Amino acid sequence: MIVELGHYALVLTFALTLIQSTVPLWGAVREDDRLMAIAPPVSIAMFFLVLISFAALTIAYVTSDFSVVNVWENSHSAKPMLFKITGVWGNHEGSLLLWVLILVFFGALVAYFGSNMPSPLRAATLAVQGWVTAGFVLFMLATSNPFNRIPSAPIEGNDLNPILQDIGLAIHPPLLYVGYVGFSITFSFAVAALILGRIDAAWARWVRPWTLLAWAFLTLGIAMGSYWAYYELGWGGWWFWDPVENASFMPWLAGTALLHSAIVMEKRDALKVWTVLLAIFTFSLSLLGTFLVRSGVLTSVHAFATDPARGVFILVLLCLFIGGSLSLYAWRAPLLKQGGLFSPISREGALVLNNLFLSAATAAVLVGTLYPLALDAITGEKISVGEPFFNLTFGPLMVPLLMAIPFGPVLAWKRGDLLAAAERLYAGFGIAILAVLFTFWLWGMERVLAPIGVGLGVWVMAGAICEIWTRVKPREVGLKRAFERLKGLPGAAWGTATAHFGVGVTVLGIVTASAFQDEYVQTMKPGDTVNLSGYAVTFDGVAPRRGANFIEDVGHFTVRQSGVVIAEMEPSKRLYTARQFPTTEAGIHTVGFSQIYLSMGEGRPNGAIDVRVYFKPLVTLIWIGCVIMAIGAVFSMADRRLRVGAPKPSAKRSPQPSATPAE
Amino acid sequence: MILWILIAAMTAAAALSILVPLAHTRAEEPAEDVQTADEAVYRQQLEEVERDLDRGLIDPAAAEAARTEIARRLLAAHERGQNGRKSAESKSSLRTAQVIAVAVLPMFALGLYLFLGAPGMPDQPLSARMTAPAEDQSVDVLVARVEKHLAENPEDGQGWVVVAPVYMQLGKPEQAAQAYANAIRLLGRRDDWEANLGEALTVANDGIVNVAAREAFERAIALEPEAIKPRFFLALALGQEGKTEAAIAAWQDLLEGADPREAWVASAVSSLERLGGTVPEMGDGLRGPDQEQMAAASQMMPEDRQQMIEGMVAGLDARLKSDGGSADEWAQLMRAQVVLGNEDAAREAFELAQAAFEGDEEALASINDAAREFGIIKSN
Amino acid sequence: MAVALGLILFALSDQIVFFQSPTDIAEKGVPEGQRIRLGGLVEEGTVVRSDNAQVSFKVTDTVNAVAVTYQGILPDLFREGQGIVAEGQIGTDGVFVADTVLAKHDENYIPKEVAEALKDKGHWQGEE
Repeated sequence: MIVELGHYALVLTFALTLIQSTVPLWGAVREDDRLMAIAPPVSIAMFFLVLISFAALTIAYVTSDFSVVNVWENSHSAKPMLFKITGVWGNHEGSLLLWVLILVFFGALVAYFGSNMPSPLRAATLAVQGWVTAGFVLFMLATSNPFNRIPSAPIEGNDLNPILQDIGLAIHPPLLYVGYVGFSITFSFAVAALILGRIDAAWARWVRPWTLLAWAFLTLGIAMGSYWAYYELGWGGWWFWDPVENASFMPWLAGTALLHSAIVMEKRDALKVWTVLLAIFTFSLSLLGTFLVRSGVLTSVHAFATDPARGVFILVLLCLFIGGSLSLYAWRAPLLKQGGLFSPISREGALVLNNLFLSAATAAVLVGTLYPLALDAITGEKISVGEPFFNLTFGPLMVPLLMAIPFGPVLAWKRGDLLAAAERLYAGFGIAILAVLFTFWLWGMERVLAPIGVGLGVWVMAGAICEIWTRVKPREVGLKRAFERLKGLPGAAWGTATAHFGVGVTVLGIVTASAFQDEYVQTMKPGDTVNLSGYAVTFDGVAPRRGANFIEDVGHFTVRQSGVVIAEMEPSKRLYTARQFPTTEAGIHTVGFSQIYLSMGEGRPNGAIDVRVYFKPLVTLIWIGCVIMAIGAVFSMADRRLRVGAPKPSAKRSPQPSATPAE
Repeated sequence: MILWILIAAMTAAAALSILVPLAHTRAEEPAEDVQTADEAVYRQQLEEVERDLDRGLIDPAAAEAARTEIARRLLAAHERGQNGRKSAESKSSLRTAQVIAVAVLPMFALGLYLFLGAPGMPDQPLSARMTAPAEDQSVDVLVARVEKHLAENPEDGQGWVVVAPVYMQLGKPEQAAQAYANAIRLLGRRDDWEANLGEALTVANDGIVNVAAREAFERAIALEPEAIKPRFFLALALGQEGKTEAAIAAWQDLLEGADPREAWVASAVSSLERLGGTVPEMGDGLRGPDQEQMAAASQMMPEDRQQMIEGMVAGLDARLKSDGGSADEWAQLMRAQVVLGNEDAAREAFELAQAAFEGDEEALASINDAAREFGIIKSN
Repeated sequence: MAVALGLILFALSDQIVFFQSPTDIAEKGVPEGQRIRLGGLVEEGTVVRSDNAQVSFKVTDTVNAVAVTYQGILPDLFREGQGIVAEGQIGTDGVFVADTVLAKHDENYIPKEVAEALKDKGHWQGEE
């Protein structure tokens, strides 16, 4: 009964989306308040219906109800409870249901928090969100229904792909989806504004918290996915330029650009046409990412659904949404009036520069991802575009961008003074130069690029600190007053500085972990020792061990530094017995921000084993930086000024909105 | 029924989410809030400029310019508010929306659901399927239940004893061999288990007696030199190894004085004749078959094997009823009866066990747990 | 923007890697030192492991075979008879020196290029 109730809730949601996508929009165009008024309650109703649906599927997983095809295909009664639950979205159908749940969740949030937005904008936004929901629910009901049943339930399920039985899977897709789907709201806002023909500074402010929220989750999702690949795949790499990774990275790049251009729009009423286009592109790239992953057009290590019928359906959806919104854009954009003017050297100018580089980088990733597919489809020739391509295109685009980051926040709006800005940053520059020299001293002169990369990372970090410093001016106003000013700084300022600092941290991690990594690949016999970066790693032997649903060969290694044992590491090779599926579990030991990474290969009859040992200096900074970026976004969201856009829902509308005397 | 009530409730809630806002008449002037939302944003921006100026983040000239710009937007927003929009509430579109909510929405949703869904199908969680009455279930399910039990209690030797012949019957000799090996490991050696282990290994090996099987038969003979089954297979093994004379001797030894009516005799005789040996004098057939011979005779006959299992369960049953036993043994009996489909016997065993352990809380608890697990009593 | 476009085009012309089957290599040959991706099945009985994690094996499309050497840890699912993709270049001795070896990542996955190359040769009887 529970399963069927979930199924019905999903069908009812589809019926509601059809109403949601038409009636409020009709109301917004006709300026009929009553028709517009249905949008928020219907949004909330849809959210609860999809929640019921999702809960029903989860219950089916938890109780191992194998009369549900989806559960039977992807679960097993002996699976630990955690993986029964994460298994709900560890497959095509379930992950789509999660996707739709997040979609309607965002709709409900807008309905709940948007009571101070102009009602036509809110109604139209929710209606557009309704279109997207309708498309995806129809996709599920037509091709990927998670509630299909088998009359007589099989005894045992097929189990989840062991590589996905990991805590990383529990966290990574939901985060990523919140990010992907979060951008649907900015898309809906943009399309709604185009339909209503009114886009201005106020619009940008209403969109901003949603963009920040989506961006923060996408950042965390990508970082999580990267770390998961790092320790689960056992290759020691944290980014492979795999099409699936690119699929999440492109919306991130475009979303980052959107975040910045929306600031210009909000403050100066400029870049409107561009911002709206970016909002459309960002979500289109999210949809494209979904298409690439779900349609199975990729030969990727990640893809877990391959079904041409589904692929065609998603392709049609993709064309409809992207094509439709771009046509609307082409039709409506010329009506938009351009706002304030600015000189090239100004905050706006810096943000435009940021947008140019980020867009170019997005384009580079897009080309690198799609070109092989297109070439294959057109000529049948098979090529692969790998790391060298991305290093050559993406790298040069990032360097000037990173150099420019610290300048942006210290430049004035409209007409800035580069010299004055540089003056505020000289300390940061000095620190960066010191960092370069220090790196040369530490690692010698052979590698020229790497110390400069280190300098770049430090420069971005120091620039962020400089920005806060110059805003507070502790030397001029004294410590006590400075502390007060520090507390008084708006959340957005903290957000900018924190997020930029995070970028610097990540860059530093990437550079050091790639350039100064120490790697040994060799066959080790028990008792053998390898020395790397001052650590002696001794192989003690291999022993078998039995886990819950796998057996494994565990290698035992002892790590010594100047003769003192600092760690014992146990990488292993596992065999999941139900599917006869082998995996490699890397051994990781963290020293400060650096890590020693061990992964085992094939064993030899004489007890020797192939071992890959890495020392990855400061590698954890890559992910720590991402977390700092996301924290920056949270600071920005906490900015009380944004609450003009999203304040508490007022039950009663006072004639003068309470937002005005906020300070 | 509950399903339909809940479906109706959900549909009603969905329809209400449309009807309630439609019915709402607005007292306030709607144009007001729309425009003040814009104006509020610009007022806020003006304040930001002031604050930035206070902090010295922008110079007075820039602040002035910004103020002018924002003021211009504020004015424009205000003017839009004045020109205002009047809410054009048309009766006909309102009516249409209401009809959609009341009629079209439920009909569409229900129609689509009846097309896609399976409203009559109950949930079938694993626990429900595992505790359903034994007679309703296929052998597969019963085996799965025992397997589940053994996966949780791999040290339960009796469980392995019960499941092993069932595996043989289902044509899974590898699992049967594993089960017998486990039983022997946990409960100690017994000649019939060793012989059955050897048989399972032989069947798994396409009828060729391999080293592991031969060792099992030899262990069985060591325990019971007169046992038929191990001697039968050892004779077969000798023939397969090409030790013709030894094989002939072994067959003759086995057949001497045997009851010709027994099932294995024909096969033994034909083997012997193929090797060129002469069939010895057999018994007069007056002696009744003992249990050992029964077991050997039923090598490939499922009904007999079932009988054997039942016999073993009956033995356990009799022993517990007369001599009593541990709580675990009672639980095993209950499980065995459930597996065999003897629901009443299982319940009887449960009641007897409860009586036997009156006052012993711990034992009673474990018996109750077992009864729940095997579906003898309803789980609460 | 123009600079970025130029960069992309330059990188595309220079940094892409073509996929070849052993037969492609046998028939057309590959210029020495050019990076390619070689796809096919690991020929049964050709995997030889030596010290320092050196492995050599042959990749075949059932018509032709190419000898491959690789130093490093092979993927979990690298087995004889499995489909793999190796990336690297052909040395003067005609031996393919791989720096990356990818194997199928779950039991139903076979690298798409490999599947198609095998289909071309008519030796593929998968369900796809």
